Amino acid sequence: MRVTDALKILNDAPKTGKPFEVALACGFTPLHLQIFLAAYLQQALPSRRVTVSTGLYGSLARTIEEEAERGARNLAIAIEWMDLDPRLGYRASAVWDSSTLPDILSFVRKALERLTGSIEGLPSGTKVAISTPTLPLPPFFHSSSWQMSEPESLLAKMVTEFAAKMASLAIPIVNTAYLSEESAPDLRYDLKSDLLFGLPYTQGHADKLAFALSRLLCPPNSKKGIITDLDDTLWSGLVGEVGPEGIRWDLDSHSGLHALYQSLLASFAEHGILVGVASKNDPKVVEKAFERTDLLLHKERAFPMEVHWQAKSSSVERILRAWNISADTVVFVDDSPMELAEVAAAHPGIECIQFPGRDYAAGYDMLRRLRDLFGKQKLSTEDHIRLDSIRQSAKFQDAAAESTPESFLQDAKAIVHFDFESSRDARALELVNKTNQFNLNGIRYTESDWASELSHPNAELMVTSYEDRFGLLGKIAVILGHLEGSTLHVRTWVMSCRAFARRIEYVCLRICFDRYGVRQINFDFLATEMNGPLREFLTHLVGQTPGEQVTLTQERFEQVCPALYHTVEDARSRSVNG
Amino acid sequence: MDEIQKRVEKCFENVFPDVPAGEILHCSQATNPKWDSIAAITLVNVIEDEFGFQMDFDILPELNSFDRVLCYVKTQVQG
Repeated sequence: MRVTDALKILNDAPKTGKPFEVALACGFTPLHLQIFLAAYLQQALPSRRVTVSTGLYGSLARTIEEEAERGARNLAIAIEWMDLDPRLGYRASAVWDSSTLPDILSFVRKALERLTGSIEGLPSGTKVAISTPTLPLPPFFHSSSWQMSEPESLLAKMVTEFAAKMASLAIPIVNTAYLSEESAPDLRYDLKSDLLFGLPYTQGHADKLAFALSRLLCPPNSKKGIITDLDDTLWSGLVGEVGPEGIRWDLDSHSGLHALYQSLLASFAEHGILVGVASKNDPKVVEKAFERTDLLLHKERAFPMEVHWQAKSSSVERILRAWNISADTVVFVDDSPMELAEVAAAHPGIECIQFPGRDYAAGYDMLRRLRDLFGKQKLSTEDHIRLDSIRQSAKFQDAAAESTPESFLQDAKAIVHFDFESSRDARALELVNKTNQFNLNGIRYTESDWASELSHPNAELMVTSYEDRFGLLGKIAVILGHLEGSTLHVRTWVMSCRAFARRIEYVCLRICFDRYGVRQINFDFLATEMNGPLREFLTHLVGQTPGEQVTLTQERFEQVCPALYHTVEDARSRSVNG
Repeated sequence: MDEIQKRVEKCFENVFPDVPAGEILHCSQATNPKWDSIAAITLVNVIEDEFGFQMDFDILPELNSFDRVLCYVKTQVQG
């Protein structure tokens, strides 16, 4: 991005947009970094009015401490060596000799400890993004630049330990390996600009670093599922021709790229990403292939498996239905450009990636691209149970189709758990930001917005978990509201589509009436392109098409609420059966 | 109005969005409190983006008004 483009983005931002304020803490003049960071955030949040403010020149820790006192919601921290000890900057005019090195090491250790303390002291809910030193150390070491001296290695170790500490606190840090690929180390530092104006970053480096920091502060929504072809994609060879024993993914047959791809998919599945298979093949042959114990992606990790001779687009359709997610949250990988085009035409929004065969450079790029598309900042318990939960849903739907609704629900042994103390639970926000169909108004929140909502004196948060005899669904619904006298004003309500058809939404409302002792519930409803299921539910509840403000009285609710067979667990462990 | 002047005006509009369009021609460090050293560097960056030449930071103190910036740019572009 050029400075001109960044300024244009900022000048074109909506003047009346809801503010999104970010404090940029760094010990140097952050001119370009500030402009680019604001521009990238503005691009990520086009309806908001982004502002990036800066703190005191030369005092990083104090800036962070002041931001903590000010109650900053979003904080980007760009650390450079001179912030850890001014003698490690080029502007310091310090004496560089070996006798000062032990003192510098001690100073850096203390500076990092103070930074750690300052960051730990930030108010709960502050969204923080950190970059560790990106600029070269000054040349005051005894060794030549191609040899790592002991003090340099000790400095690097201290910074790495600091980064590990921050990561353990779930604070996102710019990946130095990523930055090295995007911003060449020898093109990062501008000596003249640093000495004349205190601007150490080249424009190019400020641009790349700002992009990375913006991604940490406002992560893009990650994809939810990957649908893969088998022949010449998951493995090398056509299984129908060479047989299950003839397919390869080993180094000897020069098909190691397939092994890497399998490993990545297995790791995705482990992290709660859905992996499905769409292959034109004989299902019996494929079943045999998946019995091979050396396959890195095990059969139970992939669901559903669409293996037949029908069009791939129909396979994708069935997989999306089983997962109950939209095409734009899914990636489809196949070695055939024709199959990719057929699926892309039938499912607008799906991301199609061609498996690159033996083009290793393209293969490396594909693996990296997949990591970026599916990367998430934190893993939750739900990530580990997602696949089981989807299998459970499929079993639930099959069983439901075989009996009458009442007898089926009565025998489901459903347990609904309500948690009212989940303000720090990242899963609640994740659910709000990823749910489209049963979503009251489609409003998305940044982490800092969410923290701000929860800090409202009348805010009430209810997180719902569910399980039944078919298995555990985990946390599946979130209600955020304000209690105003005898009314609960619901600002956000989402429920995972996996939890449909279980009457959990009714249980949620009953618990709201019961726990909060309110006589009516107001909903901030807004129709979106995708929240038809929620709209239908509200229509049923109030007996008319919902407008922007929907009011449900307790009396009306009792009239329309069907029989509920759930065992309810909450802080008071009461049951609302029947 | 010549083409170069229009483009320089556009650069000023980008860096100083609060200055009314009619006042840009009279803009100077003396009249615009937002024209500090940081804004001066930003202006240089934007002019570099627009005209595709590199400016030397040493000349910054002399470029303290719209007229002077325009004159400098014309010298660089027209030789």
